[in-house]
Amino acid sequence: MAGTHANPRGLSVRQFKAILKKDIVMELRTKEMITSMGIYALLTMVIYQIALSQAGTAFDPRNIAAGLLWLAFVFTSMLGLNRSLVHEKDQGCLEALLLSPVDRPVIFFAKATGNLIFLLIVQALTIPVFAFLFLQQGTYAGDLWMIPLVLTMGSIGIAGVGTLLATMSVNTKGKDFVLAVLFVPIMYPLLLAAVSATTAAVLGGDGYVQQFWSGMGLMAAFDAIMLLAAFALYEFIVGA
Amino acid sequence: MSVGEKRFLGLGLYTWIYITLGLAAVLTTAALTMTFFFTPVVLADTVVDELRVIGGVPIQNQLLFSQKIFYFHVPVAMSSFLVFIFTALNGVRFLIKKEKIYDTKARIATEVTLLFVLLTMATGILWTRYEWGTWWVWEPRLTTYFILTLMVIGYFVLRNSIDDEERRATYAAAFGIIAFINAPISFAITRLVPSSAHPVVFRAGGGLISSQLIAFFLGMAGMLLFAWSVYQIRLREQDITDRVEVAKAALEE
Amino acid sequence: MSESKESPGTNAVEVRSLTRTFGIRKALNDVTFDLPAGAFLSVFGPNGAGKTTLVKVLTTLMAPSKGTARVAGMDVVADAVELRSHIGLISHNPLLYPDLSAAENLEFFAEMYGVPDASTRVRELLEAVELDHRRLDLVRTFSRGMLQRLSIARALLHRPEVLFLDEPYSGLDPHAVDILDNLIAQIRADHTFVMISHDLAKGLSLCTHTLIMARGRVVLAEEISAVKRDEFAQLYRSTVGMGVA
Repeated sequence: MAGTHANPRGLSVRQFKAILKKDIVMELRTKEMITSMGIYALLTMVIYQIALSQAGTAFDPRNIAAGLLWLAFVFTSMLGLNRSLVHEKDQGCLEALLLSPVDRPVIFFAKATGNLIFLLIVQALTIPVFAFLFLQQGTYAGDLWMIPLVLTMGSIGIAGVGTLLATMSVNTKGKDFVLAVLFVPIMYPLLLAAVSATTAAVLGGDGYVQQFWSGMGLMAAFDAIMLLAAFALYEFIVGA
Repeated sequence: MSVGEKRFLGLGLYTWIYITLGLAAVLTTAALTMTFFFTPVVLADTVVDELRVIGGVPIQNQLLFSQKIFYFHVPVAMSSFLVFIFTALNGVRFLIKKEKIYDTKARIATEVTLLFVLLTMATGILWTRYEWGTWWVWEPRLTTYFILTLMVIGYFVLRNSIDDEERRATYAAAFGIIAFINAPISFAITRLVPSSAHPVVFRAGGGLISSQLIAFFLGMAGMLLFAWSVYQIRLREQDITDRVEVAKAALEE
Repeated sequence: MSESKESPGTNAVEVRSLTRTFGIRKALNDVTFDLPAGAFLSVFGPNGAGKTTLVKVLTTLMAPSKGTARVAGMDVVADAVELRSHIGLISHNPLLYPDLSAAENLEFFAEMYGVPDASTRVRELLEAVELDHRRLDLVRTFSRGMLQRLSIARALLHRPEVLFLDEPYSGLDPHAVDILDNLIAQIRADHTFVMISHDLAKGLSLCTHTLIMARGRVVLAEEISAVKRDEFAQLYRSTVGMGVA
């Protein structure tokens, strides 16, 4: 429920920074999210090796590299999102946050920003490993600068919608399972566009710049619409 | 207050439900009859009258179901989405008013949506088989309905994993809204993202002749009435269950 | 910000026909009572009586379905954001982050409340709850009693006028109970208290006012002087009835 008085902007900024800083300090101390996500990503790589083991030498993993990468990111991010909200839930800290004079969207944006940072760190660690393991043969044909762009654009959507969905799933009986069931279908359009843009960036080829930017545009549209929806709905979710 | 006591044009709601259910049956039957006996088969905008080979199987034009199932498939698909609007709408109303009735309405609308998306998927698969010769193609519309089906299933998984009634209602409302927003985005993005494996098959819609149009609209109207009746019947049933609960609670006092 | 703050000496809590329903469940049913500033209210009642819901409504975490409630002169719905700066909660849950140190926890919440000169205030409170020597230790390593002391410090950071206590004694060893008693005694003079308790004896020893709830209704709302303490347990059993106590 919203009070009619909004907080002065200065306080909201202070609160945003405080929550973000707290999450980062806690993560640096425990390294819980980053290690669990990183190890999970490594395990996915092993499974990819199994999946590709019978594909033959003629098969070029670059063709499906983008899909494999985003697959790994989807699963690792679900793991991380769950963790980040379990922290708040465990000792009733979320209740303490809600008791403080904070506008609920500030909590949403701070948590989502923290999650975004952790996702990007894990991705930055995963990509070189992935390239090392699977992309040694064949030359890189696209533009390297496209990769961080598409990763950021995709992660914004994952962190934004994921924070909302994880806030719900953390209060349910089958936490991880519920998050997966809600998260994957909602993320479908974003991932489809992300794989298209990433493939363009990896493979190059005819009209790849155009394919990249059209994918980026679709992702940006998804991010904008979904973040707006998540922002509007968060107040109801977090207070329930 | 009992929902069943509302009256319209002097007739009780139950009477209206029977009328619409009957009308739905008549209309869909009429549409199907027309489909099979009065509408010509059209393929790629030309009337087919010779043997065709589809998916390696020679098929005579009488067996070309793709046109026939169209009159069932499209109304079902459109109805499912129209009913899903009620999930989102009642979700919004619930979040504003926090009254349980809107949660009940949203849940029942989603149940009807589930029924209709499953029918859509089934007829869609049949269509795909006859149109493109395979059981499944990741074609934008089918894919969107697949995702929609998953979201509707997710809606019920979410509901079943929460004990607290009010929290369940709030989360379900929020997820219903998000899923509803997501459906058209999924459709747009599946269409707009270039896909190397399956070129999108656009079907020109311009070629419908009047007998086809009539059959299509009859089917559409019948299906919507059917959806409305199912929704109302479930709502009544829920209302009766709730009243039993109230009576039980009153007895305990 | 809210312009009409009432003068001290009036009621710290004013509840009028407060009702909270969902479907057929009435968590709160037409609850009405007043609590003067500086008083200590103990709320008793069996499980499911609506005690927790009442505190959630008064602390702005839940909106009432009907009726109004004012805390520290502010409406719990219309002035919710402003009101949050004037209330504190001490719960049986510590509401602290285990992976932050004592000082970091307090500093974090001080930021959330926009407390001016936060570091001085944090130090002052850590001294008051005698945790200054452990200020840099992770809360994870604290005993139950230390957690409870720190959570009191957290609740007092922004100098709230009304303090809500949700079963603060549950799970405390006798020594920690003594410390908590002392702390409450120290801050008793300049705060209004609303405490939920299962423990009749403890609740009675602290309170000036008492409220008994059952099935969402107020069964009894009295100033404690009007009730003889030793008769109270009997009264509680007879009013709540059905052997639920």
